[in-house]
Amino acid sequence: MTWITSLLLATVRMAVPLLFIALAELYSERAGMVNIGLEGLAAIGSLVGFLVCYITGSTWLGILCGALVGVVVNMIYAYATISLCADHIVYGMAINIFAPALASFIYRVYFGTGSDLKQIELMAGIGIPGLKNIPFFGDLLFNQTPMVYIAFLLVIVTCIFFNKTRAGLNYKAVGEHPQAAATLGIPVVRIKYLSCVLCGALSGIGGAYLTTCYSNTYSQGNVAGRGFIALAAVIFGRWTGGGVLLACLFFGFCDALQIRLQVGSFGVPYQFFQMIPYVATIVVLSVIGAKKGGPQANGKPYRREQR
Amino acid sequence: MKKLTKSLGSFVVPVLSIVLALLIGAIIMAVLGANPLVAMQYLAKGAFGNAANIGTTLTKATPLIFCGLCACFAYKCGVFNLGGEGQFIIGSVACYYVAYCSGIGGVPGILLSLLAGAVAGGIWGLIPGVLKITRGQNEMIITIMFNYVATLFMGVVYTNWLRDESVPQTLPVPDSVQLPRVIDGMRFTWAFVIAIVVGIVLYYFLFWTSGGFKLRAVGYNMTASRFNGFPIKRYILTSFIISGAIAGLGGGAELLGTQFRLINGFGAGYGFDGVSMALIGQLHPIATMIVSIFFAALRAGSTTMQAATGVPTSVSDIIQALVIVFSVAGMALVKLPEFEAFRLRYFRKKEKKEATEQ
Repeated sequence: MTWITSLLLATVRMAVPLLFIALAELYSERAGMVNIGLEGLAAIGSLVGFLVCYITGSTWLGILCGALVGVVVNMIYAYATISLCADHIVYGMAINIFAPALASFIYRVYFGTGSDLKQIELMAGIGIPGLKNIPFFGDLLFNQTPMVYIAFLLVIVTCIFFNKTRAGLNYKAVGEHPQAAATLGIPVVRIKYLSCVLCGALSGIGGAYLTTCYSNTYSQGNVAGRGFIALAAVIFGRWTGGGVLLACLFFGFCDALQIRLQVGSFGVPYQFFQMIPYVATIVVLSVIGAKKGGPQANGKPYRREQR
Repeated sequence: MKKLTKSLGSFVVPVLSIVLALLIGAIIMAVLGANPLVAMQYLAKGAFGNAANIGTTLTKATPLIFCGLCACFAYKCGVFNLGGEGQFIIGSVACYYVAYCSGIGGVPGILLSLLAGAVAGGIWGLIPGVLKITRGQNEMIITIMFNYVATLFMGVVYTNWLRDESVPQTLPVPDSVQLPRVIDGMRFTWAFVIAIVVGIVLYYFLFWTSGGFKLRAVGYNMTASRFNGFPIKRYILTSFIISGAIAGLGGGAELLGTQFRLINGFGAGYGFDGVSMALIGQLHPIATMIVSIFFAALRAGSTTMQAATGVPTSVSDIIQALVIVFSVAGMALVKLPEFEAFRLRYFRKKEKKEATEQ
């Protein structure tokens, strides 16, 4: 029982960074912006979150600055893809190369090449009074760090925004058919930029979560492919808030399982367990196959007055 | 005329991007308290100062060239293979097994090991290829996932199966299968020569044979090629296999030429480096090779620079990243209709001026 409880507890904890990054991509793709630079955005977010927290001692400030730097870096992507009509995939790749290089450079310059481990205090968990005493579910859902609550709230907000509000429908129209949206007076370019702001902020937060709420140090490559797994989660979740939540919980479960199994070992090299999340991603994508889904104008450049 | 300006653009943009990136690099150096001019001097000296340094530069260029060509070939054929790193690593693992366990020495041993590397890389590229054509899957995510799997698999090999007693690494490959140096006193080995040959062959294949033309046509416009009766799926699969084989061969060459053993961090980062090289080189094999040598020089030189001025080596990574950020944006800018209009207006004015002056 405890093994299962701790496994599920770890599942929630591992799903949260994925959830932030996947929601970032959801907001981006709903406006027709395919951003594969999430890995890089999360990397720089995680470094800045760590650094700010290390200097000021405040995890909240760290997460805020992680979000800010995510936005700043993503604005490069936004300008190149929206205003200059650069290829989304190629430019996302450029961000994936640029942002981690910047992150490791800043780390090297600030801390030098010394090998002593720099650590910060993790964000403390806050239990919700009353609810946290429910057996089993109490610990699982109501005795976590505030970031976990924020992530789940965001999913609800996202679902309502995209399905129940006029602004959300307008937002989706930009991703489906920007020309038609423009004729209705929807400010297409502005919404596309807005989507990039949201995407940068959320993936920055997802990265910062890794250093301020999950592991208390920064190491190069700590995002470990989560940016790409989040991309898979958006496809798996069929571009909806609820679907993305389920997909992230699934991938989070794979990650948690991997860690639990490593502890058990069973005489199998631990690397085989570490492969689980990646193999799961491949299997999931292969099983759901090429059912066409997602916004119609996803990844296509938009130019005014052009058909 | 239009063709001329187009080819000019694909040459000017990368060069301008490199100049801009170097300028920003110089500013960073100044901010860090070093004299940028002195630092740049050490950078150049470290890269090309003497025969030994040139050898180091070419050694560092070899894996970049292989991974750059892998990416270049795949993109030219419309396949976004980000799995260069995984294919590189699996290639080196297969190469290691043949080189270490088969006991065949000398040139046959080397050839056999390299072949094993290329085949393994090709197979590692084939799997995402099959998934793409049968399941219509997004190859980017799949190939990235395969990179992680490959890295972890190599981890199993050097920490478990072929571990060198207490150290988490394998034993070096036997001397008889190590690639010899081309020139005494310079570190670079025949691996570099192989890389150059592969690049030239690719160039010839892509631009001067009908097979290459067909592959490029598929990359340029998949729908048109399908209506033309090209077997698209077979071409996509071929692109995956060949680009994987190039990376796998690179992994083998790196193992037999430079590293000799599998160890933590082997091949790390080469996949994305290769993507940078290919994109900055405008997906042209020859340009990709030149770009690779340039960035290898930057890396080789940055070690000397760090020792002399204290500017950290990762400045070279920043410069490389900036070049790609600038050059991709620059290429998009050149293609914009506004830019075309501006260019036309500017040149027209000039022509008119010349006409009135006459």
